[in-house]
Amino acid sequence: MARTAWSRWALLPTAVAVYLAPQLAGGSGAAYSAAVLIAIFAVMAYGLDTIVSDLGEVSLAHTVFFAAGSYTTALLATRAGVGSWATLAGSIAVALLLAGVIGLVTLRLREFVFSLVTYAVAVVAMTVAANWQFMGGSDGVRGIPLLDLSLPGIPLKAQDDRTLWPCAFGLLVAALYLVDRFRHSALGAAAVMSHLNPRLATMSGIDLARVRLQVFLVSAPISAAAGWLYAYQRAYVSADVLENYFLILMLTAVVLVGRRQLLGPLLATAMVLVQEKFFSLGGYVDKIILGSVLVLILGFFPQGLAGLVRPLAALLRRRPPARP
Amino acid sequence: MNLMQQVLNGLVMGHAYALVAIGWTLLLGVARLVNFGHGQMYMLGAFVTWWAVVKAGVPYALALPIAMACGALLGVLMQRVMLRATFEQNLVSIMIMTLGFGYLIHGAAALVFGSTGQILDTALSRHEINLGELWLTGQDLAIVVATILVFIGLRRLLDGTRVGRLVRMVAEDPKLAQLSGVNVRRVYYGVFAFEGAAVAFAAGMVAPRTPILTSMGFDEVIMTFVVVVFGGIGSVKGSYVAGVALGLFTALFGALVSLAYTAAAAFLALIALLVLRPGGLAAGAAGGVH
Repeated sequence: MARTAWSRWALLPTAVAVYLAPQLAGGSGAAYSAAVLIAIFAVMAYGLDTIVSDLGEVSLAHTVFFAAGSYTTALLATRAGVGSWATLAGSIAVALLLAGVIGLVTLRLREFVFSLVTYAVAVVAMTVAANWQFMGGSDGVRGIPLLDLSLPGIPLKAQDDRTLWPCAFGLLVAALYLVDRFRHSALGAAAVMSHLNPRLATMSGIDLARVRLQVFLVSAPISAAAGWLYAYQRAYVSADVLENYFLILMLTAVVLVGRRQLLGPLLATAMVLVQEKFFSLGGYVDKIILGSVLVLILGFFPQGLAGLVRPLAALLRRRPPARP
Repeated sequence: MNLMQQVLNGLVMGHAYALVAIGWTLLLGVARLVNFGHGQMYMLGAFVTWWAVVKAGVPYALALPIAMACGALLGVLMQRVMLRATFEQNLVSIMIMTLGFGYLIHGAAALVFGSTGQILDTALSRHEINLGELWLTGQDLAIVVATILVFIGLRRLLDGTRVGRLVRMVAEDPKLAQLSGVNVRRVYYGVFAFEGAAVAFAAGMVAPRTPILTSMGFDEVIMTFVVVVFGGIGSVKGSYVAGVALGLFTALFGALVSLAYTAAAAFLALIALLVLRPGGLAAGAAGGVH
């Protein structure tokens, strides 16, 4: 317990360091832009993290929830002139609705059939987004206004990535808090149990289908909230928010550092994005790098980078044997 | 008459779907492996064939085996990386790895072949066959014949040879098969090599029908998925029937309703099946390869 309390206190200076990171990295526009994108994509990945790490299934439909957040925001903001808080609520509502439908349809599907169906959902969503004129078709939706989260007496309007950063950071902290709460909740325990031993879970009175659906409903709004902020960050939305890049990025974020590590997806997203933004070798080579990292980690280091570091840490911690 | 033409198109497309799906049918039936990189392997097969014919000046009949060899090699390589997860039946890792491979193949192909569309033209695809008011190309006819031959060949291989018996044993129970002296590792490599070669062959045959792009492959995965599940997982004959049925469905849907939404419609039909009969699927998954 003492160790848990200690590591919780360590979160505060970590949070301050992360908040100041773009400033410490030079404070340039590019640094803030990268920081905002890292926060957004990490939040997107946290949505999937609860499904893969806790429930033990691979949902390939989380790009759809991310896109649902972006599109709902884009359509509400440009066509109905709705404010930023309302678009956030709308994004979460649409994601819950979609997650409910997908969750119910796939409730009794397991393993690869579940993954295939969710993958097909993503491909169909892309077809619909690219062809349906209501969603802007292949042109997408342009002219999304600036993010404005001002409350009475507190002006909070994001002009650029620098002023968007506090909001992105806030969203990231909220997502981390939610995932941490989920892991310490009865639902989180039930999810892990139904993943590790479904028979035992059933015997102890856990309704597997219900747990699956509930975890789905927790995870979808997290990815959708990331989509919400992404729409404001880019100021336009098109069918490319459904591209495989986001799916691969999310999966890499979940597995690279190690599963069920609270800060894992954030660290992994940061590594990928820093490579892509500051050490890019061109779009195609970056694709090869990202794909290779994902494949090699799972193929040869299934515990993730944490699995590599742990033995080293144990070695350092080992005390010399006591003399008789 | 237009309707009859659509039915004929549907038959050709159906054989194409079945041919593209054959590798996956075996992969799923034998090793319980799902390959999300299937679509990108199809794309790569098409581009290797195109490269061999257009850039290297190799005759089409020789370009196909070249593409198949590349596909088989790629399959073995993928299986090498996924071997541990395959033995552990760690489906979560396998699925994510195949997605990663698909992404990697896409990046590599775009780097080598560029992102512009290409046309793979063969002597057969320029040759038109007229049957009264109906017509099809020589390539279409070749697809149908090749598909039938491949399916009969695979069925014969599985039912009547020693290799087929070993493969069926591994599909039934890998651990028991290993105890009785079967080299399970070699069977897994073989099945993945077959998947790679089969999808490359299918790509070399089918790709001349449409322009080829390095970004293609997504629809192929969905269609393959529909064929494999509709046909009953692991069933060779079922895949053939399901492929042809899907071809007729998409041709008629594309002609009568909407071309852009054909993959979506096929997928929705599948969802309906999954929701109505999820138990039937699980039974099929446990049935091995047949």
